[in-house]
Amino acid sequence: MNFVLLFLITIFSLSLFFYGRSKTKSISIEKNIRLNALPKFYGYYLVLWCSIPALVFLLVWSLFEPVIIKSIIIETAANQGAIFSDKNEANLIYEKIKAIHLGTYFGDIDSILRESALAYAKFINLFTNSKVVLIFGIIIASVIYSLKKIKNNNKARDDVEVILKGLLFVSSLIAILTTLGIIFSLLFESIKFFSVINVFDYLFGTNWSPQRAFVRDASSITAAEFEELKDAFGFIPLIAGTSFIAFIAMLVAVPIGLFSGIYMAEYASIKVRRISKPIIEILAGIPTVVYGFFAALTVGPFFRQVGENLGLTVSSESALAAGLIMGIMIIPYVSSLSDDVINSVPQSLRDGSYAVGATKSETIKQVVIPAALPGIIGSVLLAVSRAIGETMIVVMAAGLAANLTINPLESTTTITTQIVMILVGDQEFDSPKTQSAFALGLTLFIATLILNYIAQRAVKKYREKYD
Amino acid sequence: MNNIKIKSKNLNVYYGDKQALFDVNLDLNEKEVTALIGPSGCGKSTFIRCINRMNDVIDICKVTGNIEMDGMNINDKDLDVVSLRERVGMVFQKPNPFPKSIYDNISYGPKIHGKGETKSELNQIVENSLKKSALWEEVKDRLDEPGTSLSGGQQQRLCIARAISVNPEVILMDEPCSALDPIATAKIEELIDELKKTYTIVIVTHSMAQAVRVSQKTGFFHLGKLIEVGKTEKIFKNPDNKMTQDYITGRFG
Repeated sequence: MNFVLLFLITIFSLSLFFYGRSKTKSISIEKNIRLNALPKFYGYYLVLWCSIPALVFLLVWSLFEPVIIKSIIIETAANQGAIFSDKNEANLIYEKIKAIHLGTYFGDIDSILRESALAYAKFINLFTNSKVVLIFGIIIASVIYSLKKIKNNNKARDDVEVILKGLLFVSSLIAILTTLGIIFSLLFESIKFFSVINVFDYLFGTNWSPQRAFVRDASSITAAEFEELKDAFGFIPLIAGTSFIAFIAMLVAVPIGLFSGIYMAEYASIKVRRISKPIIEILAGIPTVVYGFFAALTVGPFFRQVGENLGLTVSSESALAAGLIMGIMIIPYVSSLSDDVINSVPQSLRDGSYAVGATKSETIKQVVIPAALPGIIGSVLLAVSRAIGETMIVVMAAGLAANLTINPLESTTTITTQIVMILVGDQEFDSPKTQSAFALGLTLFIATLILNYIAQRAVKKYREKYD
Repeated sequence: MNNIKIKSKNLNVYYGDKQALFDVNLDLNEKEVTALIGPSGCGKSTFIRCINRMNDVIDICKVTGNIEMDGMNINDKDLDVVSLRERVGMVFQKPNPFPKSIYDNISYGPKIHGKGETKSELNQIVENSLKKSALWEEVKDRLDEPGTSLSGGQQQRLCIARAISVNPEVILMDEPCSALDPIATAKIEELIDELKKTYTIVIVTHSMAQAVRVSQKTGFFHLGKLIEVGKTEKIFKNPDNKMTQDYITGRFG
């Protein structure tokens, strides 16, 4: 139904474009007046007026229709004598009614359900019909309004500008609201978590074992259970593991990325650059899950084999394997960002250095790199926040047990891995275990936010220097 | 008449397929200022960049012919470019101080060439260079401030000090005043007058007045060819060539 409506709105507003354009043209010729805008603007004006109110209405209606129908149906079912004790059971009954209406329900149908299904069908019909009527009403009203405006030779160009500006504003508003929504959902769930677990126990605890939190309902927690839970959510092993793996990754990515960036920017001939730069950037295009199984199935066992030959115990899921592969994944970020930064160092600085007799490597070491340093730091920090937020590789290659260790050959775990572990499968949404995922998400979010902020500041500072 | 310091014979320069200089024969006298004038793109800058081999930086650039300094072939493939540039300094169109302190801007060159091994020797070099470029009085109390914090004219004098710091024999100046206001320009011109006692100077300029003020010898380039060269006075008063006449009187270019 909605698709038919959308199609009709589109067709109708498109034809209005041509109508508006030719109509205003003929009016201006007939009455010999100068139009306030080009005829096509009158066409746009009609299109916008015809489509936007109707589309907005359709969107709002589609958002609220199911909610309203649901509450009405649940109420009718209750009046019919259906018994449900909480929201979940009510939802179940509603789903049953819906299934009966669609003919996909194969259980026993009692009279209550049958009656409710009939009522459901009735309401659906009613809502659909009124939706169609209302939409056409809105279209007709707005078209009449805009046609009248056009006949009065309004300033269509300015009006179109205003409407477009509004549209663009709404788009950016949606982006901002989404961000806020995510932050608040993280925040509220985290607050629930922190109402059970003390913030300091969380931030400074050295033991992470959320599987101990089998408590169902966070609000009805007993003192004994609380004692049990208190030290199950220590954040330290996770941040330690995360930083450790990110550190190993940067150990790989920064030198290789930076050096290849320098090579690309300063030494490579145009031909070499044209071929090798896209190849390096392909690395950035490989899905992280591919890196993940490469780390888990190839590199991890390889390290273990080598370790065995050297007489070392190497876990097959090791921080070293995960960090190494993550580092390789990050190389293109560091390399292409530092390449850009080095390229934007003005040639005049290099000339100045060559002119006093410095060689190429002296110039790079003493003039180009220092000049590009803030930008390079920025690129490294962006890479760090990328490493901290990376999930797939560590899930597959780093292990799940939260060991507090600095031995790169042992398995360790990260924040993102734990979030995945907590939320995989069926979960009770009000247990502290599940809520801890939100707390972890919030902490991770804040950490990467701070890093990104510092990175952007560094990059900005750099930009100011040469503008 | 001073000795000839630099002598170019049938010098040709190509950028890829495009020829930028055609058989340039030009002699530069020692401890004298030679001005090179001509419309944009006529090869003046290309010529002076041959003297310190700055054209090496450009991949597609090819130089043929002969250019000699004190009888040494500059264009020799085996020539040590580093020591050549130690002897031939350069100042660019736009002031290009390094984003380092004033002190480090000057000490950069000497350090590269292993001069000024002790701190006090280095201090002495920095002070002398800044004095020679008439900047010392203005910056002596803030040597650790970034070179980019100076005004445009001061930056250009800093760049001149940087060129002087390695004690070169020749200084090439590529439109050193084109980005400066008249007052800063006057200061630089005064400085050039002073510097020619010690150094051989080649200056590329778009300002006829500047050429007249600072130089003893002037060469006029057009479309990659050296049209006329001679004493500055003669070039500007009664040039032999019609084209030179037209250019200096502003009829083209």
